[in-house]
Amino acid sequence: MKQSFYGLLLFIFLILPPVAAIMESVMIVHMHMQMTLLVISGLLMGRFFQLKFPGFFRKWNANGIPGILLFMIIWSYWMVPRAMDEAITLQMVEWFKFASLPFLAGVPLRDSWKKIGAAGQKLVFGFFVAMFSFMAWLYIGADSQLCNNYLEVEQKTLGWGSLFIGVLLLVYVIQLFFIDTSEYE
Amino acid sequence: MIKSRHTTIAIIAVIIFGFVLFYIGTDGFRAFTAESARTYDIMQEKPAFPSVTLEDSKERTYTFDEFADGRYVFVTFMYTSCTTVCPQLEMNMASVYNQIPDEYIGEDIVFLSISFDPERDDPATLKKYRGYFDSDGETWRMARINNKKELQSLLDELGVIVIPNDNGDFTHNSAFYLIDKSGHLQQVMDYTLVDEAASKVNDILAAQGDDNG
Repeated sequence: MKQSFYGLLLFIFLILPPVAAIMESVMIVHMHMQMTLLVISGLLMGRFFQLKFPGFFRKWNANGIPGILLFMIIWSYWMVPRAMDEAITLQMVEWFKFASLPFLAGVPLRDSWKKIGAAGQKLVFGFFVAMFSFMAWLYIGADSQLCNNYLEVEQKTLGWGSLFIGVLLLVYVIQLFFIDTSEYE
Repeated sequence: MIKSRHTTIAIIAVIIFGFVLFYIGTDGFRAFTAESARTYDIMQEKPAFPSVTLEDSKERTYTFDEFADGRYVFVTFMYTSCTTVCPQLEMNMASVYNQIPDEYIGEDIVFLSISFDPERDDPATLKKYRGYFDSDGETWRMARINNKKELQSLLDELGVIVIPNDNGDFTHNSAFYLIDKSGHLQQVMDYTLVDEAASKVNDILAAQGDDNG
């Protein structure tokens, strides 16, 4: 339960208006730090929901696929340039971001990750490698401004950041194929 | 068995939710950036061009409506100190201007470049800038809007977002705007597709000729 409490603390900290405003003022922090941390806060809080409603997760997320799908859909949605822009300009969208990333992405990820097994995890990693590569291509290659609230140079930074994350994930996935982690457990 | 049925239902529910989310969030898969959403919205709304007072490169002042005088107006937004997009934008505007048949120019359509940097873009500066693009200062005028409030309401109405940066420059979105004869926005066009924009404007001009009989 302790981790759920820390998750809640993190969540409250992130949605404090001054904290949110500072994080959203820089594009790459907005996407790769604020959004990631929101998911992490959900991951931590997930334990609370698992203990509180074990039946719900067992019934509706038996093999982990619905949960992981939901996580991937929510995360992909927030990668749309317009969603990021509107989170800044429309209060409603901002609230949806604060609700969806922890509770519709973080919590289901927590519940699904073990259930989907090693093969499923590799698929999810593959999805993210593809996605971050696409983002890198999109944000580095775009000649025009994709987000009205951010400068073009920030957009390029975000693109390179995405590429970096994509490469890291890829390296991680590749090593999974060559190194048998069970030997170390 | 029961478990797997629940899971199937959950998967379907999640997919439907995702579909609806993306559908609403992108105006039915049409607008993935705020800029395309803005263009789409604006074309649906067709807002009226707000009443603004212009001061042009010949130091004349008049309202937008006086200048339009029942004609189509082809509008761009720029500032003369801009070294990136604006010269390209104005160059492309010149190219559209040259593709419109002479009979329409001044009769049915006029061109207007509006500066959103009134502090630096005084009439003398605009006059110099006008020369770079062979704008005649009559059927294609360059003007600034001195009243800050009027300028902001115009930018808001047409969804032009201007962000000042540290070097005294601005980051801004660019497009060609066509205002119809009643003073409402009719078209927002991609400023990089010159031929497409010119032929669209020509079609509109030709069609209104037919209507008049």
